[in-house]
Amino acid sequence: MEVLRKYASELLEKKAVAAVIGYVRVSDKRTRPAIITNPEDTSSLVFDNYCLNNLSVYLTKARIKALCRTSDKPMKLAITAKPCDVHSIVALIQENQIHRDDIHIISFNCGGVVKDFGLEFSKETLASKCIHCESQKPVYFDKLFGEEKKIPAAEDKQLQKINEIDSMSTEERFEFFKKEFDKCIKCYACRAVCPLCYCQRCITDKTIPCWIESSSHQRGNFSWNIVRAFHLSARCTGCGECERACPMDIPLGLINRTMAIEAKKSFSFVSGRSLEIPTLVGSFDVKDSDELFM
Amino acid sequence: MKIGVFICHCGENISRTVDCPKVAEVCRNFPGVEYSTNYKYMCSDPGQKLIKDAVLENKLDAIVVGSCSPHMHERTFRNAAISAGINPFLVEIANLREQCSWVHDDVEEATQKAIELVRMALEKVKRDKPLTKIKVNVTKRILVIGGGIAGIQAALDVANAGYEVILVEKEPSIGGHMSQLSETFPTLDCSQCILTPRMVEVYQHPKIKLFTYSEVVKVEGFIGNFKATIKKKARHIIDDRCSGCGLCMENCPIKKKAYNSFEENLAFRPAIYTPFPQAVPNIPVIDETICTHYKNGKCGMCVKVCDREAIDFDQEDTMFVADIGAIIVATGFKLYNIEKKSSGSIYKGYGEYGYGKYRDVIDGLQFERIASASGPTSGEIKRPSDGKVPKKIVFIQCVGSRDESKGISYCSKICCMYTAKHAMLYKHKVHDGEAYVFYMDIRAGGKMYEEFVRRAIEEDNVKYIRGRVSRIYEEKGKYIVKGEDTIAGMPVVVDADMVVLASAMIPHDNAPLLARTIGIPYDKYGFYNEAHPKLRPVESTTSGVFLAGACQSPRDIPDTVSMASAAASKAIILFSSDQLEREPVVAKVNEDICQGCFYCKKVCPFGAIEVKDIKDINGIVFKEVAYINQGVCKGCGTCTATCLSKSIELAGFNNEEIFAQIAAL
Repeated sequence: MEVLRKYASELLEKKAVAAVIGYVRVSDKRTRPAIITNPEDTSSLVFDNYCLNNLSVYLTKARIKALCRTSDKPMKLAITAKPCDVHSIVALIQENQIHRDDIHIISFNCGGVVKDFGLEFSKETLASKCIHCESQKPVYFDKLFGEEKKIPAAEDKQLQKINEIDSMSTEERFEFFKKEFDKCIKCYACRAVCPLCYCQRCITDKTIPCWIESSSHQRGNFSWNIVRAFHLSARCTGCGECERACPMDIPLGLINRTMAIEAKKSFSFVSGRSLEIPTLVGSFDVKDSDELFM
Repeated sequence: MKIGVFICHCGENISRTVDCPKVAEVCRNFPGVEYSTNYKYMCSDPGQKLIKDAVLENKLDAIVVGSCSPHMHERTFRNAAISAGINPFLVEIANLREQCSWVHDDVEEATQKAIELVRMALEKVKRDKPLTKIKVNVTKRILVIGGGIAGIQAALDVANAGYEVILVEKEPSIGGHMSQLSETFPTLDCSQCILTPRMVEVYQHPKIKLFTYSEVVKVEGFIGNFKATIKKKARHIIDDRCSGCGLCMENCPIKKKAYNSFEENLAFRPAIYTPFPQAVPNIPVIDETICTHYKNGKCGMCVKVCDREAIDFDQEDTMFVADIGAIIVATGFKLYNIEKKSSGSIYKGYGEYGYGKYRDVIDGLQFERIASASGPTSGEIKRPSDGKVPKKIVFIQCVGSRDESKGISYCSKICCMYTAKHAMLYKHKVHDGEAYVFYMDIRAGGKMYEEFVRRAIEEDNVKYIRGRVSRIYEEKGKYIVKGEDTIAGMPVVVDADMVVLASAMIPHDNAPLLARTIGIPYDKYGFYNEAHPKLRPVESTTSGVFLAGACQSPRDIPDTVSMASAAASKAIILFSSDQLEREPVVAKVNEDICQGCFYCKKVCPFGAIEVKDIKDINGIVFKEVAYINQGVCKGCGTCTATCLSKSIELAGFNNEEIFAQIAAL
């Protein structure tokens, strides 16, 4: 922990970065994100199994980007990122929201995180993305901390549920999601925490013409959640923040993971894994499968 | 806003299933409609006059025409609107023919649907904005890719009209396949005799800049404003010093290391060579792969004999960038590789014919070289294996062509004619020889073509057998050709001395690569697609890029030359004005909300989208957004559909207009 604090403090002192986006401890089992610009404040930085936010969401925020432009020459932003958060960063770079040269990635060998604040870290409370995690080491980083760790093995209940839904009839499936989407209160917390929902003006907020009804009936519930699923298909890196942030416990992870499984099956594509592989949306290969076309 | 509704009967095409007077009557009561009528032929002169008069009389602001598809008469009605003083983009077409009367039987239901379609068009026209045509400057210089007869003809036509031409040919000489031919059908005149004067004309033309041994590696820009990068491969000869005396070729000690591809591998060439004596330009190239100098730095015989010091072993490839306004693609064809069965290829090959295994089983171009006076046998018909004169020769048509099991479903068009010519040439040179032709059909459509084939059969006594050949094998110095005579219903066996296979014409291997470099579509074989098979046969779908010759589909010399002249005239039309007018149906980015993800740039099939920097007050870039070049945009709408934040609108089809149409349903 001390090495991380020292390193971050040095970066700020040298004026190598404008700010460090990191986690600070709130209580025993709770951390919160912090944007640190003062070297002294780095003393509260932490990284452990309770750092569950995906901080890359802050990289695209206008006010944080503005921090880099205050001095004579544009400065970098440092971010502490779990290996899975690095996937989001990769996706953001590929979608031109940030440039690799503008950010300094401080990453860690990860041993999994807890699924929500206040829980004791154990295999029962492991976040569902960690259960099927295949990237405990970051794909890109500028500084790496920590020993390699093992994630406790746990049952992949999310995959079981996906398979269960897969075997349902169309009507049953519709009923299932109707019930889930009925809970939606359009608070847009899912959008707020999603690193890839970076649009300054979301399509939902457009009223002339109105693309998505925001009223809380079935049509409005479906249009928001389905449009979001489509907008994130083959883009979502599976950080699971939307599901965690949803106050109504809509299982958004089921949808995003299903789309990711489909992208992998049909196009061997997983979002955010490499800067060399072009994004699935917007790339075309003559060998692409036609099966998904209706 | 005062809107006029005009319902066309299209003779009986619409009125047979749609009650047109009723549609006009009902629509009269829709909000905004000032005037509504119906007429038998709205596209006719009186019909257009009716529209004009109604606009002027009722002071209409916009019109909706219920008629055929906008593909047919949108332009007609827009012009009528212009003459009545209305912006042409305040005209909407409700397609009552293709999308209604032609596809329905029930009059009542079809009438109701027609009313709904008009209602949708009305909602759109209310939101339509007046648009004006976009003007783009034109660079009056053309790039012709390919120096065969198509490229030569196109280059000469454009140059003679007074415009600059850049002609790029990948081989060391222009001339293409036509320069390899012995005689041409149906007149039997010597191919080189009619071609070489054209080649020289190209070389001497003050408006034509010739790049041989060169390739187009990059094309950017759009109609009127392309930028092409041309790679001039190193010849290792200093062009302006070489006099073309040929001493270097005569003295090159490497004689038998490489086949001459111009002679279809029937002869060798030295390491320093011109493909054929009449090459244009008559400047040799050095083949680095076999030249001794590049192996061990020795030899240098060519340097010793060249008194003009034209040899430069250290020459490197050079790049040229040229501004051009239009492109004519005339890259031609190659022959179907008969023996190869390469995996991954759509072509299956004909292992059963023994091509490549038996030296006397040859293809059509090889026979051309054997029959050519300038060829390896000086025009005497001799077998490649032992130089004997074949007394019995078999020609097989449709090798590859029209044979889906071998990968090609199309007809190569020229083989019936050149096989007749080959058989005729053979009979003229070997009087006591026997010539057999195996054919599927004789396709001799063309002026004097049928007569030519009849002449081969009747005057020169060539034996035509309708049927396919199943196998060719060697036995006691003869090639046993096993086939079937489907007219007699009998198997046929011919013990031939030589076999000539009329193999299919296919595109060059790198045709798709060039298509992607330029940005034009191609079919599954790699032939370039025309914009419309009947009405726009020499244009590609990319504006400013035209097609000529066999790169578009198999064709003979007269067709190729006509197509080249047609493509040239299309380019000349383009160059006839200083500025181009473009339809204003183009996409536009809302820079305030564009997030700069550039998915639009990735999906744009025309390369119309660029990155634009948005700077703050200190000049520091704080945002990148998409910018659409209106000269390139074709208004396809792919970007608008892809944009996640819906920050792109297509003029004339913006989201508000489309939503209003849907909502009106």
